[in-house]
This record gives sequence, structure tokens and C-alpha cells, in this order.
Amino acid sequence: MIVTVKWLRDFVDLRLSVEELIDRLTMVGLEVDAVHERFAHLEGVITARVELVRKHPNADRLRLCEVTDGSRRYQIVCGAPNVREGVIAPLALAGVTLPGGVTLREARVRGELSEGMLCSQKELGLGEDADGIWLLPQDTPIGAPLADALGGTDTILDVSITPNRADCLSILGIAREVAAICNSPLRYPSIALEETGPTIDSLASVTVENPAGCPRYAARLIQGVTIGPSPQWLSKRLEAVGVRSINNIVDITNYVLMEMGQPLHAFDFDRLAGHRIVVRSAQENERFTTLDGVERTLFDDTLLICDGQGPVAIAGIMGGLDSEISSDTRRVLIESAYFQPQSIRRSSKKLGLRTESSYRFERGVDPEGVIRALDRAAQLMMEVGGGEPATGRIDVYPNPIVMPTLALRVDRTNRFLGTDFKSSEMAGALRSIEMQVDDSDPQALRVNPPAFRQDVVREVDLTEEIARLLGYDRVPVSYPKSSGISAPQDPHLRMREEVRALLQGFGLNELVTYSFISRQALSKLRLPSDDPRLHPVEIMNPISDEQAVMRTSLIPGLIETAQHNLDHRNEDLKLFELSRVFIPSGEKPLPDEHYHLAGVMAGKRYSYPLYGGEEEVDYTDVKGVVEQTMDLFHLDGEMRYRTENVPPYMDPWRSASISYNGEIIGAVGQVHPEVEKAFDLKKKLLIFELDFDQVFARKRHHPMYKPLPKFPSVVRDMAIVVDESVPVQEPLDLILSQHEHLLEAIEVFDVYRSAQFGEGKKSIGYRLVYRALDRSLTDEEVNSIHTQMVKKVLNTYDASLR
Amino acid sequence: MEENIRTLLDTARKDIAVARDDSKILEQIRVRYLGRKGELAQFFKDLPKAPPDRRPDIGKLLNEVKIELEQQISEALDRAGAQQNRPKTPFDVTVPGRKPLVGRLHPITQTMLEISRIFHRLGFETVEGPEVELDYYNFEALNIPKDHPARDMQDTFYVSEDIVLRTHTSPIQVRVMEKRQPPIRIIAPGKTYRRDSDVTHTPMFHQVEGLMVGDNISFGDLKGILTIFVHQMFGQNIGLRFRPSFFPFTEPSAEVDIQCVICGGSGCRVCSQTGWLEILGSGMVDPEVFKMVGYDPEVVTGFAFGMGIERIAMLKYGIDDLRLFFENDLRFLRQF
Repeated sequence: MIVTVKWLRDFVDLRLSVEELIDRLTMVGLEVDAVHERFAHLEGVITARVELVRKHPNADRLRLCEVTDGSRRYQIVCGAPNVREGVIAPLALAGVTLPGGVTLREARVRGELSEGMLCSQKELGLGEDADGIWLLPQDTPIGAPLADALGGTDTILDVSITPNRADCLSILGIAREVAAICNSPLRYPSIALEETGPTIDSLASVTVENPAGCPRYAARLIQGVTIGPSPQWLSKRLEAVGVRSINNIVDITNYVLMEMGQPLHAFDFDRLAGHRIVVRSAQENERFTTLDGVERTLFDDTLLICDGQGPVAIAGIMGGLDSEISSDTRRVLIESAYFQPQSIRRSSKKLGLRTESSYRFERGVDPEGVIRALDRAAQLMMEVGGGEPATGRIDVYPNPIVMPTLALRVDRTNRFLGTDFKSSEMAGALRSIEMQVDDSDPQALRVNPPAFRQDVVREVDLTEEIARLLGYDRVPVSYPKSSGISAPQDPHLRMREEVRALLQGFGLNELVTYSFISRQALSKLRLPSDDPRLHPVEIMNPISDEQAVMRTSLIPGLIETAQHNLDHRNEDLKLFELSRVFIPSGEKPLPDEHYHLAGVMAGKRYSYPLYGGEEEVDYTDVKGVVEQTMDLFHLDGEMRYRTENVPPYMDPWRSASISYNGEIIGAVGQVHPEVEKAFDLKKKLLIFELDFDQVFARKRHHPMYKPLPKFPSVVRDMAIVVDESVPVQEPLDLILSQHEHLLEAIEVFDVYRSAQFGEGKKSIGYRLVYRALDRSLTDEEVNSIHTQMVKKVLNTYDASLR
Repeated sequence: MEENIRTLLDTARKDIAVARDDSKILEQIRVRYLGRKGELAQFFKDLPKAPPDRRPDIGKLLNEVKIELEQQISEALDRAGAQQNRPKTPFDVTVPGRKPLVGRLHPITQTMLEISRIFHRLGFETVEGPEVELDYYNFEALNIPKDHPARDMQDTFYVSEDIVLRTHTSPIQVRVMEKRQPPIRIIAPGKTYRRDSDVTHTPMFHQVEGLMVGDNISFGDLKGILTIFVHQMFGQNIGLRFRPSFFPFTEPSAEVDIQCVICGGSGCRVCSQTGWLEILGSGMVDPEVFKMVGYDPEVVTGFAFGMGIERIAMLKYGIDDLRLFFENDLRFLRQF
């Protein structure tokens, strides 16, 4: 809501500086978003009359003008085609800085002195007109600051009005708050209307067919008006609050809208068929052309203002082209109504049409202010357009809106706020904003809010008014009683924190990417058509196709982030994201939201070249991260990395599925070459993905202690040469499957390839650790077991000892 | 005799100097002077022969000399030992350390953790809720009916007529109150979504919601808890103010402003010359919300608050472009 300080002063004695005003308004809940001095930039620009226009001796398109401010003459070189003798225009003198940033100096233009510049609207930052100098009205006094001619300087405030405060969508409404702040009276505009014409009932009629949608409809008729431009005071005031002047009658409706917050509509009475108004609901698909020239298709709940034939306006939103005020309008019917807020809001939304009018109706105008605004408009229209009003007004208001009487318990209010306000203070605060307070019982005030405060319907609404008007800073800081018992910690959340910290420690950087992705990105993952990930939650009204569906996988975001970084020459990537994916679930209305963990690695393993950091990361790096992360969950079942069940977006030759006790919980390896191509990736990416929730569900709380061994271990190595097709894990599993209770541990310590083993062969070294808990093992004992193990492996895998 | 002892000390000192921290020579010197049959031992042996009245002084002198020589030789030997360990080429201590690779947590995560920790210390428990949410929880149960202008405050992504991407973390309040009885003391961090994308808005962002409900929780308590939070988050000396505002699910409602962390309150571009920065919204839980979850507003009261994580992270780290958070450029991520 734009307000000007001058306009406010019409209604209230402002005893505050602008700074104080801004602060006090903000602290009663009317936040001042912006403030500026109107025309502050026009200092040094004056009004001047062009006395003489001559040709410039050295330039065909320039003119040499003599310009006067009434006391002094200036020579100005001017190139505008519309400069003529006798016109009055803005003159910017040397020293003025124009909005474009140029500071004027006296200068010679093609050899002739120019002491300043005659300006266009655009050059002064006051309009779009750049075709020539700005020709001011001929009655403009010359030699005055241009700012004065334009209505004078003023302070313009942009006040942010919260949706509950419809009463503040007007100058008067804000003045009321200022009056409360300053403890000074609010002066309503005085309305004196001399009714001389025939009674309105003999000329016009109003029928409201839908009183629910239109609880109150009032009208006045003015006959014999003359349509013309608005007087300066009117057009300038409107311009100051950003409203373009149209003609005197329309301007008055806008003026009263701004002043009182009541939207009005002015109809050309002679273009209303049957001289009657009918308020009814539209028929579904009924068509109507609004005054912006757009033909609109209406809905059956759109409220229409009709004449004897058909619609003339969409109620509360916009009028029609046909009944608009035009230059030959002689009789004006002024509409002032209270429309049901939800109905206007619904229609405005469905039609995609928001206006100053709909904005106020949907928040709720003052049902009692309808008449005041109507009379005010009639009075002002006669002032600016002549004519005489018909006697009386039409006021269809079958079910008057009654404001409730509210009980305010002083004690409870103080307890609720944590304050110690006196009953009289509370009553005073409420009275300052025109609430009627009965304080015959000082502990239980009875309060009647005015009709313009339709947001005040409960005791708590009064509590809020008291708190804001007496000041939030008067509420002392206190501390709630604590039970002293701290809340339990969510184990899932804690595990996420631990995993993040761990991955950070491994050198991975955390990502936060958008939860919505493009359908196209999902389709690049080569998923089979029945894969649930290809059937994401769709957003009905996405901003763009790029963000149209909720992700079912972290992989697209991960790849796109990797790509963004590669494009910006961040070539060594170690990234992860731990966040939710969204999988639609058949029966339930809401999708399942699972936490997934995914990561990507590329480039150098260690980015310090000094320490041999030139080596590129490989499968073992990313698998190592996964293995260490899994360790954090203390799982005691069987983890497997297999070439089966590798997801389709991963390279089947260079990736593994991860399973736990036979259930797939993730994957690790390289991005599939076709996916690389689809995403236009310039580099091989190693990725991993874990279903975090699934892993978490299998988490054990903590490890159990095992006593430290009292007897030494015996270590034996086994180096075998096998076919390349034998994974290192298989012989290891075979050995473990013997359930040798003296075998404490086994690990792969070497994988080696050499021509001497022959084509397609490799050597694997296993280190086996034997130990007994109750004694030292003898060599013989170990040798016999180990020999058995070796024999088993050699036989099973057709291997030889190296 | 004293004369001879002093001469011995001089000679020994010279010998030690000449030895130049050579441990072998030093060992010989030690044997020669301090050994069991060494020169000093000889003087001790001869002490009884000295005139009785001189004996205490000579004895004292002998002891002093002995201590000095022991000390000098031992120091020289230490130096000798150190020299022996000296590398053939000089050891360069300025060579860069072999730093273990350490990643970074996203600044949003870090800020979220910091906020959560403050509230955990105040006895609040973290609770989470769905991001794809029923219209009922996101709006209706929070006293934002359909066709209400308050819906304009939040441009919404719809999944269907009744399902939205949550526009704030406030629905978690309702979900928790539906399941539990007071007292309640929770925070609810998470992702939120609004259909808005420009320099100062991203369609996804993060919030932390808070709710405290119990007997006689007052607006003063709201001020107390949030003042503690602001002081712990931004510093004990930061000024703050509670400013009336409007949220459909709280009444009275308050925005909390802190003194601009950039200009200290004198007015700058970041605070739009006001000297204040809005950092969170709060208020006393509206009775309508309590009624929706079956609480009796005559019996329990409470307050709720919510804040944007990105906003706080931007102020804390001096980040001037919101979109950087979701670009995830390593040059950005590595700074935190």
C-alpha cells in the first residue's frame, strides 16, 4: 500500500518525523518496506517559457531557444521537434544531475552557448515520453521548481499490509493507526451532499439475486456531469500513489478507493439497459468482455453485475467495455458494494485477473463504509464534474452484518502475554482504534470491534491488538519452566549425522541438490519401463520442465552436479549427497520418502602432486568408501559385491551390486557409457548408491566386546595361480566355508599378473591367521590344517601354487 | 692448594673447549678430571693434609669445581650427541604437510546443525515430516482455509488437488500434536518448496520449525527462548526486536529482527537501510490450530517459530547469491 505523508496529514496531525513514523508504524505491525522523497531528484529543474526559437547557425536539426523563468533569460540549444515559441517546459540548469546520470554544464553546442537543457518526461525519469520536450499545461506558473508544478515534494511510503489487515488498505486506514500511535484524533473527510434531483428510486433499480455473494449493494446517480480531464490536485494525488489519471469521474472512483479502501464502479447510466442493475451468478461458460478488451469465459460461481440485458461488470473485479465512462457520458451510476470475500477471491483466481478492487474485496472491505464511500464519491464527482445527484441512494442490504461482542479477560490476557497491563491500558489501546469498550467489569471487558475490523472475532484477536498497540517491547522476557528432562535423540537422524561426518572425513564434499528433476534426466538412466523410478511424483504446476518431477533417484542430480563442476574445471571430484527420494506408493495418498546415499568420484586420488597424487581414482577407491561406511552400521550379516543385478545406469562390466544377506541395498562402479553419452559427460565417473533406510533398518546398536587373545597367532600365506575368471572373493569364501575354528582371519594381500603364469591367469596371495584361544598352536597343527586348505582351493579352482 | 685447584679448573675448561663436542675426547676429559683416579679425586684425597682451618673452604671449592666440570662435560656431551644425529643433507621443515583429504559439509547442513544444537541444549527434540504433504496439514490444519488470502503468502507447488510440496515446515507441528499430548518441545528442520524463482528465491529451500506447548507458556516465554537462540547464534551482544506481523497459525505473531550483522545497525544495502534484518517468524499458537488437533486452548498455550536456513547461512557466511547453495560448485563448497 502506497501512502504519501501529505495525504495522511489530511486525516491526522502527524507529530512525528518521517523516521519516527516509519519506526512506529513498523512496530505496530505495518512494516514500511520502502520510503522515498518524491521529486527529490528534480532539484534545480524549473518551469520556463520558450520565448524565441531560431535556427542554429551550424546545425540543421538544432534550434537556438531563448527561454525565460520570468526574471532571467537563458539561451538553450534544443533538438526537440516540438519546441515552439510560447510553450512551457521543464528547464534543467547547469549542475543538475539527470536520472540517466549525466550532470549538466554550460556548454557550447556546435559553437553556440547552451545554459541548460529543455527536458522530455523520459529524461527526467517521470514517464516514457521521449519524443520531444515535455510540454507542460499553459497555466503552469513559470520560474517555479518543477516539483511544485507537479504537486510538490512529498514522502512516499510503501507499507506492507499483512492479509489480515484489510482495514489498512487505504490512506484513512493507515491514518487511523497513526492516530492511535500519536494519540491524536482521526479526522474523517466531511461529506456534505446537496440532493436536488428526483429520487433515485424513480430513475433506477437494483435487484440482488445472490445476496450471499453480494450482501450489500448501494448506488447513487448523478445527472448532468461533464466528463473531462481531472483537476491538477486530483491527478497529482493519484500519480503520487502510482495511479494513472484517466478522466475526472473515473479518477474520483480511484481516489475514494485509495482514500477509504472501498472499491467503486462508475457506470454510464444511459448505457445500462432498462436503467437497472441485477446482481447474479454467471452461467458456466458465459462470455464477457472486460474493459481491458479481453473476452473472458466465466464460471457458474462468478458473480456478475448485469443491466436489463446482460452483464456489465464482473462483480468486484473489473467492469465491462460497453458501460464504461466515455467522453459523452452525462449520467453516472456509482456502485459501492460489499461482496463476499471468498467469492471474489475464487473468481479472481479462476479468471487469473487481479485488480486493486479484487485485492480489497477478497480481504474484506468495510460493510459500513460502503455508504460513506458512496456519498464521498458523489460529492467529489460533483465538485470535479458538475451535475446534480438524484435524491437518496439505493441500499440493498437485506441481512446486515453484525459484529460480535467479545469478552476480554484481563487476567488471562496478561497471563497469555506474560505481562502486567492494567485493565484501563487495555481498554485505552482498543478504543484508540475505534473499538467500543464496556469496562463496567474491569476484569472482563466487553468489546465491540468496528465493522472494518472483520479480522477481530475472538478474544485472542483482541489480545493481539493490545500487545501490538501497547508494544511488544513492553512484554518482559521470561523463560518457560523446564522439566529438566532432555528429549530423546532420533537414531536415524544421528546416524545420518555420523555418516555425513565420516564421508567428510574421507574427503568427500556434501551436496544439496534440488528434490525435483526433469523427466528427461530420469529417462537417461536406461531404466526398464516398469521400473517405479520411471513413475515419479509429478508436479502439476512446475516452474519448468527441468524441475517437473520429484526425484526417484539421487543419480541424475549427482551426475549433473559432477558435470557442472567438470565444466568449471573442478576436475577432481569427491562428492556425496544423503537425502530423500520420492517413490509413489500404490494405496497411500503420499509417496514413500526414503533416504538414499549416493556419491561420485573422478580425477586424482590425492590432489597433491608432490606426493605422487597424479594417480586417478578407481573402483577400489569408491568401493573402499562404501565398505568403510557400511562398517559404521556394525552389520553382522553377509555383504556381497556381485556382477549380477547391476543397475542399468551403471557399466555392467565395471560395476557391482551390493547385497546384504541376499537383499540388494546398493551399487558401486562406473557410469554406463550410454548414460555418460546421454548426459554428455566428458569424464568417467565412479559412483556409489546405497538405500540408506534399508541399511539403517539392519543396523546393530553397537559392537560387542571380544576378549583380547592371550596366545599368539600363527600366520600362513597361500599364493595361488588361477584363471582370471575366478574372483578373489571365491577362494576366500571357500576357505571360510570350511568353518575351521582355528582360522581367525583371512585377507587378500596380493593380486599379481605376469607372463610367466600364462595367458588369462593371475596370482592371488591370501594371508591366513590361525589362533587358538586356550593355547599356543604348534607348527605341526597349523601346517596340517593349512595344507588341507590349500589342497581344497587348488582342487576346486584348478589352481596351482605359485 | 686452592691455587692448584683453580689452575685445574682453567685447564679443564680449555680442554673442554678444545674438544669441540667430540664425544670420545670428552669422555677422556671426564676420566682425566672426574674419574675415580682423576685429578680432582687426588685433591679430595689430599684434603685431610690441608691445614684444618682451610679445609672447609677448600672442600667447598672442590665441590663447586666438581659440579661445574660435571655440568660442562655433560652439556658438551649432549651437544655431541645431537651432532651425531645430524642428517647429511639439511632437513627442510617448510615442506608442505601430507594433508589427509577432508571434505566439507554443505553450508546448509552446517547451519542446520548449529541451529539444532542450540535448541537441543534447550531441551528441544528434532522431529521430521514428509516433504510431499497433504493440503490439510500444510494449510487447512494451520488455519489457512482454501480461498483465504493468506494462501497468497506462499506460492504452492501442487501434486494434486489435495497434495502439495510443503511450503513450510509448519505441518510437522500439526502431525506431532495429533500424536502426542503436551508438554511438547520440538524443532523440525527440513526442505520446503515454493513456486518462486528469482535472485532472492529458489523453488526449494530449508527451514527449521519450532514448537513449544504446555501449561501457561506465554508470549514472554517465546521472547525468552528466541532471545537465547539469537544470542547463541549471532552473539551475545546482538540487538534484536520483536515486531508485530501476521501468520494464520499464530496470534499474536511476531517477526524477529536482528541488528544488521553487516553494518551493525547503521543502515546498508543488505538491510535496505533499516539497520535490521528479519530472521524468523514466530507467534503464539492460534487457538484454531489447537482445536484442529483436539487440544483445549483454554488449558494449553504455546508458541511456534520458523526460520529460513539459507537466509541465516547467507548472513553468517556473507553469501550474496542464494543460487550458489544449489549449484554445488566445489569452489563454493570448499569454503566452509
